[in-house]
Amino acid sequence: MRIDTTRFGTIDVEPDKIITFPQGILGFPESKRFILFPHGSESLFWWLQSLDDGDLAFVTISPSAVCVEDYSFKISDDVQEMLKIEGPEQVEVLLLVTISGKPQQSVTVNLLGPIVINVETRLGAQLILDPVKYPVKYPITSAKNAPLKEAV
Amino acid sequence: MLVLRRRPGEKIRIGNDIVIEVLEIKGRQVRIGINAPDRISVLREEVFLKIEQENRQAAQSPVDLTILEDLPVVG
Repeated sequence: MRIDTTRFGTIDVEPDKIITFPQGILGFPESKRFILFPHGSESLFWWLQSLDDGDLAFVTISPSAVCVEDYSFKISDDVQEMLKIEGPEQVEVLLLVTISGKPQQSVTVNLLGPIVINVETRLGAQLILDPVKYPVKYPITSAKNAPLKEAV
Repeated sequence: MLVLRRRPGEKIRIGNDIVIEVLEIKGRQVRIGINAPDRISVLREEVFLKIEQENRQAAQSPVDLTILEDLPVVG
């Protein structure tokens, strides 16, 4: 299928690469279908592009790539059920990246609302973690190589 | 929307396993106790709004990610 996007023009999407977010992403409930692709062959960043809204795309990165210590959380039973998660090997976690401020730009990741994807069922959701423990804007100043699961 | 009047100590049941109790009323604040199974997430609305707002900002990323590619890669 072909999708018109604002940032990448018309893109060809293989149906088996589509990731469905049954509840959408907070603030964008009408976008349910997304696709994930790397920013570049050497890049640590991945684009999460909506297939339902060509304007909507997020930059994401693996938590292991942004040097966050002790970033672990339990996926609640209802989310496990929704994403049909049977084991941790099916799960990939991504953080949404925010680029803000002008002229002094800053880059932050959202640790409070991570994206969780079951790479086998290709179902995804944005979780909401404990706001006391995790900031919505966690500044990143460096990154390290951390490949995603091949199935992504 | 269903609107109910409750006094401190009185409860509301939602379905079989959610109980909401008005614990205390003090000036303009109400303390509420919520008993719900673990699978049900109970959150202040502000947390949702905060993530929504952050998502809207995150969705503004330009296609040129030079600032990101300039981040030093360590390890």
